[in-house]
Amino acid sequence: MIDWANCAVKQTELHKAVSRGSTHMSENWVLTEEEAVELLALLITSARIQMEEPANYGPLRLLTATERLSGMIVERASEKSREFLQENVDRIPDMHMRMSDVDAYSAALDERCRAVAACLLRHSSLPEE
Amino acid sequence: MSEAVLNNIKTRRVVREMTGEPVAREQIEAILEAARWAPSGGNLRPNRYIVIQDAETRRLIRLVSPGMFQEAPVLILICTNWDVAAEHNLPPTDRALLIDVGTAAQTMMLAAHALGLASGPVTSYSKEAVKKILNLPESYSPEMFICIGHRASTAQPGMRAWKKITWRDLTHWERFK
Ligand SMILES: Cc1cc2nc3c(=O)[nH]c(=O)nc-3n(C[C@H](O)[C@H](O)[C@H](O)COP(=O)(O)O)c2cc1C
Repeated sequence: MIDWANCAVKQTELHKAVSRGSTHMSENWVLTEEEAVELLALLITSARIQMEEPANYGPLRLLTATERLSGMIVERASEKSREFLQENVDRIPDMHMRMSDVDAYSAALDERCRAVAACLLRHSSLPEE
Repeated sequence: MSEAVLNNIKTRRVVREMTGEPVAREQIEAILEAARWAPSGGNLRPNRYIVIQDAETRRLIRLVSPGMFQEAPVLILICTNWDVAAEHNLPPTDRALLIDVGTAAQTMMLAAHALGLASGPVTSYSKEAVKKILNLPESYSPEMFICIGHRASTAQPGMRAWKKITWRDLTHWERFK
């Protein structure tokens, strides 16, 4: 007979081992199953509609997912991520509406890329500066 | 009078942030009645309107609609009823069907604006997911949502124009030389 209880524990341990191996991020759970499914809905439906929409809507959809995920986890995230997440929530809606200004849009995206790199460094063993 | 109509047309803007304040039933009905008077190819009236106010249904719809930024208290889904098209031997590719969606959409948004309400059209959603959530009959094709509500004071101005345009840039008079 399968020992489901033990199996579940092992899965959790396995998950932790995998996440330890792949990143140095803290092991706090920041997303509920319901939130994860909501995010999946956004990603899958974005993939589908992107087949028929202009190519430059691609960044818009990815940013919408970034904003939603940031909003879902910002309260539960550690200090190391919180500012980056809050900025995503605050800045991305305005970025959407400026996508016709390609230079400003690229610059705003570059700024978000620098911010995510800084966040990664804060979670890593490397110095941030 | 005509000035008021022109002004209504010129001042309507898509609103992507709305308050949670509900919309009165009479106002929803006035918007639907306006759609009834929109022009329709051959006067066939293939559009069907589905009004969604239930909070949980609206939440699920929004989750499968990446282009729906607003949380609107009322969603009106414009559907094409293929049965009506088939009855009149219109193939599903007949462009009158989508033009009908467009005339109804703009008429409803102008009606909403005239009533002091905010509105926004949305076509960026998964049709299959929407059909499933609403349990739509096979013959209904979900073509466009019109979100209706009250504009939030924090609402941002809409998407900037790709380049500045006037009606003159969009118009050509008489024959091309
Ligand atoms: C066919 C069509 C589809 C549209 N789809 C969406 C959409 O999915 N999401 C959205 O926020 N706006 C959508 N819009 C609104 C346009 O972005 C908007 O009309 C345009 O930016 C001009 O803004 P204005 O209507 O406020 O002048 C759509 C408009 C049309 C005509």
